[in-house]
Amino acid sequence: MDQVIIRKEKAEDVESNAKVSKWKINIKKRKLLVYTLIYAFLGLLLLLSVIPFWIVLINSTRDGFAISTQGLTIRPGRSLAENYRILTTNANIIPAFFNSLKISTLVTILSGYFSALTAYGFHVYKFKGKNFLFGVILLFMMVPSQMAFLGYVQWMTRLGLMDTHTALIIPSVAAIGTVFFLRAYISSSLSRDLIESARIDGAGELHIFHRIALPLMGPGVATMSIFAFIGSWNNYLSARIILSSKSQETLPMVIASLRAMRIWHQNQGAIYLGFAISIVPIVVVFIFASKYLIENISAGAIKG
Amino acid sequence: MAKVTLKNIAKIYDNGFQAVKNINLEILDKEFMVLVGPSGCGKTTTLRMIAGLEKITLGESYIGETLVNDVEPKNRNIAMVFQNYALYPHMTVYDNLAFGLKIKKTPKDEIKERIERTAKILGIEPLLKNRPKQLSGGQRQRVALGRAIVRKPGVFLMDEPLSNLDAKLRVQMRAELIKLHNELQTTFIYVTHDQTEAMTMGSRICVMHDGVIQQVAEPKTIYNHPANIFVASFIGSPQMNFLQGRLSEKQGKIFATIEGLELELNEEASGKVKEKNYAGKEVMVGIRPEDVYLVNDNEGIQSKAEVSELLGCNLHIYFKINEKQYTLSTSPKVEVGFNERIFVSFDRDKLHLFDKETEETIL
Repeated sequence: MDQVIIRKEKAEDVESNAKVSKWKINIKKRKLLVYTLIYAFLGLLLLLSVIPFWIVLINSTRDGFAISTQGLTIRPGRSLAENYRILTTNANIIPAFFNSLKISTLVTILSGYFSALTAYGFHVYKFKGKNFLFGVILLFMMVPSQMAFLGYVQWMTRLGLMDTHTALIIPSVAAIGTVFFLRAYISSSLSRDLIESARIDGAGELHIFHRIALPLMGPGVATMSIFAFIGSWNNYLSARIILSSKSQETLPMVIASLRAMRIWHQNQGAIYLGFAISIVPIVVVFIFASKYLIENISAGAIKG
Repeated sequence: MAKVTLKNIAKIYDNGFQAVKNINLEILDKEFMVLVGPSGCGKTTTLRMIAGLEKITLGESYIGETLVNDVEPKNRNIAMVFQNYALYPHMTVYDNLAFGLKIKKTPKDEIKERIERTAKILGIEPLLKNRPKQLSGGQRQRVALGRAIVRKPGVFLMDEPLSNLDAKLRVQMRAELIKLHNELQTTFIYVTHDQTEAMTMGSRICVMHDGVIQQVAEPKTIYNHPANIFVASFIGSPQMNFLQGRLSEKQGKIFATIEGLELELNEEASGKVKEKNYAGKEVMVGIRPEDVYLVNDNEGIQSKAEVSELLGCNLHIYFKINEKQYTLSTSPKVEVGFNERIFVSFDRDKLHLFDKETEETIL
């Protein structure tokens, strides 16, 4: 009798096992389908974002004739050296590259540091008019910077800073958007107890900022630095307005002037090379900072 | 010397809220003082004022003989342990401990030596190279303590340091903190809302409510002679029972009548009642659950048992008299069924009598 029951139970077990494995297979099938679709979509996006870069890179190795007659190709040409020669003899591209690099690096470092300092001040200290001041910051954020160009130029002329890189660097230090972002970031990444603990440990206010707050704000600052760098690297308008002498020119100015040159039609390859050169630092910055960028996007997902 | 003295301290916030009202408290050197009270009673604010993290609105605060109202926290010779540990997450345990010492420009060898000694006391030697993220709650707590110890402060301030730990670990750390206090021979000021922590750890307890000190005394005194109804109800678990009672004098003896049960007060209590002229008056009678007895039928107040909780070492019975619920604590051998009729009586030597108006103790 007992054995019969056991056998019956076993039979039921087998049946339910079969159900479970069928169900598992179904789940697997569904997963496969979903993932295939997701990867197909991501692949498409990847293609869309890579193709323009590819065109620029390939075309910078081909001569103008090939580009205008043969259209798009995936094979690199052999005219890289020739293109480089044409580019450097006709345009000031290398000095402009270093001008841009200098300005962008300084803007990134200074705006990152001072924005963090400002955001920290807003977060940690209580002072009269704090909310009003932050309101003003928000207000300025909504006004396009181009609106202030007239005053900007006038002021820079008075200070005698026209046609200098300083005139491009100093105003960029006050990065309103960065302050706004970092203030939100700091409130989630830095607890007040930590600051108070450091105070009791005997640390001065600047010491606390440098040793405790700044490292903890690191990912946020890095994220904003990417944007600051790209923004400054691509900054054409204010550079065009402030700078006038050839030796001071930045990369976007030179790239823009390439189009006006007579070499344009015969030597498209050289122009593509110019574009390629202008992309390099951004790619480098992205490679180094993308870790922080991803960390930052996923920050807050898991409470530490 | 690390005596802490608070004279007429008050804290009023910008929005007019008065968190602490006129506090006078003297914390002796090497004492373990526990500030206890429900949330919002001003205990943390008081601690933060001692630390210098909160400005004192009125009054004077002394550490040792120095007036510290306007002294920066770093110059007060104090260390503080926070509820959420407040470890620097980007530094290793070693660097966390060394942070304060480095600022003071302590020589490197001494830093190393002090950290090693502290780590040994707390049993965190293997963790020195880890980051706070890699530690468990209990380990983080030890590191937070270590950061305080390593600086050799005159006063330790602790703001609910155990409340983030699980129950078992909390009991363990409680014992370790007592041991630590004995070893370090330093003043501890400890804030908690947990009356068990207060009772077990404090050499003295300061019970606070609504920004006012209710009673400052040794744990035993607080438990056996609570100054008012608030202290009586806050300290002790399960809570003290409160019943309406009437005092009367018969042939020179004082009797308390509670729900029809007449109990003769002992001599000491009778003397106090006579002295303060409470005979013939309505009072509030407090009785702790362990001083309530089950008695034979018709020898006490009749009641109905509602719920019984077996805690292992004792049994709590919740019962009702006139629709009000009370608790008694008895031996687990007693068996009482649901809704069973029971008779209860009280230990006449353990009655607490309170004025109904002022809620202050009469005894």
